[in-house]
Amino acid sequence: MVKEQFRETDIGTVISHVQFTPFSAKDIAKQATIQVINRNLYLPDSTHKACPYGVLDHKLGTSEKDKKCDTCQQDLATCIGHYGYIDLELPVFHVGYFRACINILQMLCKKCSHVLLTSKEKADFLEILKRKNIPYLSKKALRKKIHEKAKKNNLCFNCGDFNGVVKKCGLLKIQHDKFKSAKKNESIIKDYVESFNFAKEFNKEIEPLINRSHEILNPLRVLQIFKNIPEDDVPLLLMNPDLAHPKDLILTRILVPPLCIRPSVASDFKAGTTEDDITIKLTEIVFLNHTILKHKAQNARIQMIIEDWDFLQLQCALYINSELSGIPLSMQPKKFTRGFCQRLKGKQGRFRGNLSGKRVDFSGRTVISPDPNLRIDQVAVPVHVAMILTYPERVNKSNIEFLRKLVMNGPDVHPGANFLLQRGTDMKKFLKFGNRAQISKELKYGDIVERHLIDNDIVLFNRQPSLHKLSIMSFYAVVKPHRTFRFNECCCTPFNADFDGDEMNLHLPQTEEAKAEALVLMGSKSNLITPRNGEIIIAATQDFLTGAYLITLKDTFFDRANACRLISSICAYEDSNLNFDLPKPAIFKPVKLWTGKQLFNLLLRPNLKTETKINLRTKGKNYTKNEDLCANDSFIVVHNSQLMCGALDKGVLGSGAKNNIFYLLLRDFGEKYAASAMLRLARTASFFLMNRGFSIGIGDVTPGPKLLKAKQELLNNGYSKCDDFIKQLKDGKLQCQPGCNPEQTLEAVILKELSVIRDKAGDACLKTLDRHNSPLIMAICGSKGSFINISQMIACVGQQAISGSRIPDGFENRSLPHFERFSRIPTAKGFVENSFYTGLTPTEFFFHTMAGREGLVDTAVKTAETGYMQRRLVKCLEDLCVQYDMTVRTCTNDIVQFSYGGDSLDPAYMEGKDQPVDFKRVLSHTIANVLTRNEKPLSGSQIMTIVENTLSNNEFRECSTDYLDQIKEFMKVIANGVDKTRRLFCVKEDDTAIPEVLFELDRITDSQIVTFLTRCKDKFIKAKIEPGTCVGALGAQSIGEPGTQMTLKTFHFAGVASMNITLGVPRIKEIINASKNISTPIITANLLIKNDAEFARLVKGRIEKTYLREVTQYIEEVFISDECCIIVKLDLERIRLLKLEINIDTIIDSILASKLKIKPPQITAISDQYVKVNPSAKGALHDSMLKLKHDLGDVVVKGLSKVNRAVISMDEKKANEYKLFVEGEGLKEVMGTHGVDGNFTTSNNTIEVFETIGIEAARSTIINEIAYTMTSHGMSIDVRHVMLLADLMTYKGEVLGITRAGLAKMKESVLMLASFEKTTDHLFDAAFYGQEDEIYGVSECIIMGKPMSLGTGIFKILHNHVKKSQPITRSLLFENPKFHTNQLQLDL
Amino acid sequence: MADDGDFDDYDDDNGDEFFDEEEPLDEVQDGQGDGEKIELLPHEDIGQAVDKDKRITTPFMTKYERARVLGTRALQISMCAPIMVELENETDPLQIAMKELKARKIPLIIRRYLPDGSYEDWAIDELIIND
Repeated sequence: MVKEQFRETDIGTVISHVQFTPFSAKDIAKQATIQVINRNLYLPDSTHKACPYGVLDHKLGTSEKDKKCDTCQQDLATCIGHYGYIDLELPVFHVGYFRACINILQMLCKKCSHVLLTSKEKADFLEILKRKNIPYLSKKALRKKIHEKAKKNNLCFNCGDFNGVVKKCGLLKIQHDKFKSAKKNESIIKDYVESFNFAKEFNKEIEPLINRSHEILNPLRVLQIFKNIPEDDVPLLLMNPDLAHPKDLILTRILVPPLCIRPSVASDFKAGTTEDDITIKLTEIVFLNHTILKHKAQNARIQMIIEDWDFLQLQCALYINSELSGIPLSMQPKKFTRGFCQRLKGKQGRFRGNLSGKRVDFSGRTVISPDPNLRIDQVAVPVHVAMILTYPERVNKSNIEFLRKLVMNGPDVHPGANFLLQRGTDMKKFLKFGNRAQISKELKYGDIVERHLIDNDIVLFNRQPSLHKLSIMSFYAVVKPHRTFRFNECCCTPFNADFDGDEMNLHLPQTEEAKAEALVLMGSKSNLITPRNGEIIIAATQDFLTGAYLITLKDTFFDRANACRLISSICAYEDSNLNFDLPKPAIFKPVKLWTGKQLFNLLLRPNLKTETKINLRTKGKNYTKNEDLCANDSFIVVHNSQLMCGALDKGVLGSGAKNNIFYLLLRDFGEKYAASAMLRLARTASFFLMNRGFSIGIGDVTPGPKLLKAKQELLNNGYSKCDDFIKQLKDGKLQCQPGCNPEQTLEAVILKELSVIRDKAGDACLKTLDRHNSPLIMAICGSKGSFINISQMIACVGQQAISGSRIPDGFENRSLPHFERFSRIPTAKGFVENSFYTGLTPTEFFFHTMAGREGLVDTAVKTAETGYMQRRLVKCLEDLCVQYDMTVRTCTNDIVQFSYGGDSLDPAYMEGKDQPVDFKRVLSHTIANVLTRNEKPLSGSQIMTIVENTLSNNEFRECSTDYLDQIKEFMKVIANGVDKTRRLFCVKEDDTAIPEVLFELDRITDSQIVTFLTRCKDKFIKAKIEPGTCVGALGAQSIGEPGTQMTLKTFHFAGVASMNITLGVPRIKEIINASKNISTPIITANLLIKNDAEFARLVKGRIEKTYLREVTQYIEEVFISDECCIIVKLDLERIRLLKLEINIDTIIDSILASKLKIKPPQITAISDQYVKVNPSAKGALHDSMLKLKHDLGDVVVKGLSKVNRAVISMDEKKANEYKLFVEGEGLKEVMGTHGVDGNFTTSNNTIEVFETIGIEAARSTIINEIAYTMTSHGMSIDVRHVMLLADLMTYKGEVLGITRAGLAKMKESVLMLASFEKTTDHLFDAAFYGQEDEIYGVSECIIMGKPMSLGTGIFKILHNHVKKSQPITRSLLFENPKFHTNQLQLDL
Repeated sequence: MADDGDFDDYDDDNGDEFFDEEEPLDEVQDGQGDGEKIELLPHEDIGQAVDKDKRITTPFMTKYERARVLGTRALQISMCAPIMVELENETDPLQIAMKELKARKIPLIIRRYLPDGSYEDWAIDELIIND
C-alpha cells in the first residue's frame, strides 16, 4: 500500500523485510572467499604488497584506486568487497551475546543440556510458542517468564543432576556455583567433597578451598552444553531453530570484512600506511591464534594457554565493542579504538549519521539577507549558485526549443545547461566542451538536459534548527546577482531567521513528482499558518509594522502626488497593471489631502471590482477605553475592507494572532489574496519609510531635566523606604509574610519596592517622551523593543536578578568587596539606578554582567535539553497518521485514537480558540457584506425559526451535532439580544405606529442568517482533517518547538503564598518521561462543604502531618525518688484553634503505634492534658530518658504520612469558596479523608493518578498538566496535539514515557529502536530472537530508502483506462445459415 | 548535547545486573493464553475492493492526493504523454497538470486503502476539489 516511486526499469529490487540472526560458523565460511591465516599485513620486501592470506589480501576487495580486486577484477568504484574468515583456535564468547549466554545457561541443566522445566511446563510453553507471529514484546515477556521458572529449579527433570547459580564473574567469565543453594549436609555435597579425598592426601592446600569451589564455565564448556541442547528445547529459549542455534552465540570463527570498509590510508609525509582499527584488531587476533597454536604444540603450561585464551577473548570482544567496561588494568588497551559497535552507535554513527540522515547533492548554503520587494513565495538565488544546481529536464514537444537554447548556452552562461544525457545511452555529455551547436541540433525527445536552475523553479529552503515543518518550505527561485539568498522578511518568523549572519540551505528537487509535492504541500503560501494553534505565522514584521503604523496614524496626510506615488509602489509582479480607485480625498481645501488610512484601504482592496471585503473589530496594543473613541486611536475597525479607525500595530498585522488582517484574508478569500496583500504592505511600508526616514540617535534617549528630577525623587523615596525595612528587620519589628521568615520577608518587600521604582521611572520617562520619538514608536506599534527597554535606556536599568532573587553574596557576607558586610541596601544587592544613557558604575556594570551571563548560560543549557526532548517526541510520534476511516493509527495499525482529537478537526483550521469558527466574527462579517436593504429585519423568535429550519437541511448533516448545537446556542444569544433591544425601545412587530427606523436596531435579515449558516458549515467541512496527515509528527513538533522558547525558569507561584510548582521545560520533561517521582507533587482536593473556612481548616488538620511537638506546651523529664518519667503537657487551646481532632487517647494511640517501641504499660494519661511516659527498662536510664524526650516530639499525632503540607486556598473567581492544596503524595488517602470530595480531587502526578484512579484519569491529567504548563508560559497549543500525545502515552493500558524504555514498549521495529538509542543492544537482541523487521514505520523506511505509508504514500494511483469501445461482434461466417448447405457431405 | 552519548540523559535503568528491566507484560501473555475467546473474522473480506455505492471515505480530494496526482501527471506529461486540455503557451509540465486537474481531465484513479486492507477506487472526476 505504500507509494511506489518512479524508477528506471533496469533497477528492480525492493527490500521487503530485514531478518536478524546470529551469524553461524558455517554461514561465515560460506560467505567468505578466503581463510585468513597470515598475521603479517605486508610482505617483508620493499614492494609494499599485501601478504597473501593476510588481513589485507586483495582477494578481500580493494581500497586503493590503482589496484584491482583479485576476486572480481573490478576497481574501487565497482567492487563491493569480499569477506574472509579467521578460525579461532579456541572458542570465545561473543560480547554482544554474553548476557544471552548466561541467560540460557541459567535455564539449562549443565549436565544434560535440557531446559530445567517439567515436561508439562515445557509442553504448555511450546504450545504458546507454536503460534505464528508472536509480537516482539510478548516474545521478550515469554522469555523472561520461562527464564524465571527455569532458574528456580535446581534439579534437572531429565537427568536428575543438581544445578546451582550461574553468575557473571569478572570480565566475560561465567561461574557456576553448583552447591550454593544446597544445604551443607546434603549427600551431593558430601559426595562432592569426598571426591577430593584422594587429592587432599597429596596437596594439603586444597582442603580449605574445597568448600568454596565453583566451576568456571569457559567458552569451550558452554559451547559443549549448547551443542547438546535437544532440538525440541531450542524454542523454549525463544530462539528460532530454523534460523539459529544457541551454539552460534559462541564465536568459533570470525568474519573478516572487506577492505573497502576498513581502507588503509597511505600517508604523504611518511612511508608506510595507516591502517584501520579493525584491521589492526584482526591481525592481533590472527597473531594470538598463532601463539595459542604454538603453545599447544610445545605443550606449554596450562596457565600460559589460559592466559592466551583470555587475551584472545578480550581482543575478540574489543573487535566488536571497544568500549568494554571492567577490563583489568593490566589488559586495558593503550589507546581508544573503534569497534563495530562504535561505528554504529551515537549521533555520528552509521544509524543516525548515515542511514537516517544522508548527505545530498543539488543543495547550496550561503548567508541570507532581506528583500522586501520579493513575493513571500520567492527566494533570490545568486547566479553562482544557479549555475551549479541543475535540474534534469526531459526533452518533450513543448520544451525542445527552450532546451536547445540552454544547451547552446552551455555551462558558463546563466540560463544554460551543464550535462546532457542522451536517450538510450548511459553516457553523460559535459557541455563545456564539444560542438554545442551540433549537440543542440541533435536534441531529441526523451533526452535529459541537466539545465541550470532558472526563475520559477521550485526550491526547498531551510534553516537549522529544523524544529517544525515550517523550518523547511518551498519557494519559487528567482535568479539574481550577488552572493546571498534573499527573501521577504515576512518569512523570517517560521524559520526564526534574522540577518545578523545567519546562513540557510537550499535544495533543488530533482523530479516532477518531488516538485509537485513540494509546491502543493510545502509551499510557503500553503503554510502561512502554523499547525501548532492555527495562528498566522507568516505576516508583517519589524519595518513593515512601523511603516504601517506611521501611515495609518491620525495625522498622516498625503497630497495627491505623494498619495499616488505611495500607492504606485504596490505595482509589481501580478499587480503591475492594477487599476486603483483612488477614494475621494478626506480634505478638499486648501489642498486635497488623503489620510494614510484611506491609502491603506487600497492595499486591501485596490479597486471596486475586487471582492476582498473583510471585517474586523478589535482592540489594539494600546487600547484604553470607549472602543472607537480610544484616546490612543488603538481600537481597530475595518468595515468591508475600509479602515474606519485605529492605527495598525502588531496585533492586527503581525504574526501570532487570529484577529489579523492577513489571517482574515486567508480564511475568507484564500492564500493568494493574503500573500499578495502582504507583499503590497511590505512594498508600501518600506517605500514610505525610505522617504520619511526612520532612525534613532542619542537625542532619542536623552532624559530631560524634569525626568531627572522625578527620577531622583523616586530613588530617594525608595531608598529611604528600603532603609526603613532594613532597620525594622534589625529591630525585629518586621511583620512576617505568611510562610516566610523575616529574611525572606525583607527580600520580598525590598524587591517589591525596587520594582516600583523602576516602573514609576519608566512611566515618568514615557510621559515626557515626544510622540515622534523613534524608540517609542517602535515600542507602541510592536515592531521592536518594549517600554521597559526604553526606560532602561533613558531612566533606570533597575534591579538585576539571578535565578529570581537579588544578587547573592559571592564574597564573605557581601556581594562585592565594595560594600559593607551584611549590607542589604539596594545598591549592594544589584540595583542599577543609572540608565544606559548615563552609564553604569563599575559595581552596577558587574552586577549587570552577572545577570547577563545567567541568560547566556540558560540558553545554552536549554537548547540541548529541548533538542533531546524534541528528538524523543518525534521518534515516538512520527508514524501516527490519520487513516481513510478517520482513525489515528500507528504504522502497525494499532489504533491510538478513533477520531483525531475527538472531533477529527485540523488544528490549523481553527478560527476560534480550539474550535473551527469564531461565530461572532463571521456573523458581523456576514451582516456587513450581505446587503439586504429590501428585506425586513427579523425579531428574535423569527431568527430562531429560520436557524432551526436551515440547520435541519440535508447539507448540514455533514456537521457534527455538537457543532450544530454550538451554532444554535450562539444564535439564541443573538436573538435574545435583538429582543432585548426591541423591548428597550418598545418596538413591537405588528405595531405600525412605530417609526421604521427603530426596526433597524440590531438589524439582521433572513438571507444574512442563511449566508452565515452556510459559511459556518463550509468552514466546518473544510476544517475536517484530511486522511494521510501525519498528525503525530505535527503534534510532536508543536509540543517540542515552543519548548525551545520557554525560559528555563522553573518555579512559579501557584496562587497560594510559598506554594511553588515546577514549570517550564523541566515540568514538560517530567510529564512526558512519565517520571514516578516528580519534583513538586500537589494534590488538589475539593471539599464537601465549599464555603466554610472552618470546615476547610478541620479537613486540613486531618490531612496535614501534625507532630506531638506542635501541640504540646512542654515535654519534660521528671525525676522523682521512686520513678523517672516524661511528662507531656498538651496545648489544648492550640488543638482547639487548629481544629485538630485529637485528644489524649488518640495521642496515646499514636505514640504506641509509632516506631518508639513503647508498650502500653509504659504510658498513662494523667488527666486530659497530661501524659506520662516511662522509659523502657532496657539500657541506661539517663540515655533512654533523653532519647525518649527527644523522640516523643517527632511522633505524628494526626495526618497522612506521605503528605508534607496542606494549604487552604481561596478560589480566585468565586470568593468564599475554599479548597485544599496538598503537597506530597498519597492521593488515595487524601481522597479517602472525611470531608474531602473524592470525586473532585486530583493530583498532578500522572503515575499516582494512574495507580489510584485509572488510565483514563491519567490521560486527562497528562493533557491538563501539559496544557497548564504551556499556558502559564504564554504558549498556546491546540489541545488536539496534547490529546494525541496523552493518548499515545496511555493507549497500551499503562502510562508509557516518551523515553527509550517507553519506546521499546510502543514499537516493534528493530531498526526503529536501533536508530533511537542503545543501537547495538537492540541489534544483538533482535539477532537472538531471530526478529524480522517488516519496514512499515517512518524510521525504517528512511533507513531502507522506501517510500512510507503516510501523507502522499497512503494511497495508490492507477491509470484510468479510457473505456475502449467494444468492437462490433461480427458473426462468424459459418454460423450464418445462409451458407449452410445441407447437401454437402464429407467423404471420410 | 544531551543526546550525544546516546543515553547520558536517562541512565537510570541501566544497572549492570542482568535482568533490570521492568515488570513483565503479563497481560500480553495472558491474552495469548485464552485465544479461544477471540472470534476471528472470515478472511475473505480482506484486501477486497469496496463497491462504488458503499464507499465511506471523504468525497473531497485531500491535499496529499492533489499533490501526488499533480506530480504523477506532470511526470507523464514531461515524458510526452498526450495532453488532455487545450494549451495556452504553458510549457511547465506541472502547470499543464494543474490545468488538467482544474478541468478534471486527468486519467488517473486514486486507490484509497482502508486499514483492514480493503480499498476504494475514486476517479479524479468523482472527487470534489477545493480551490
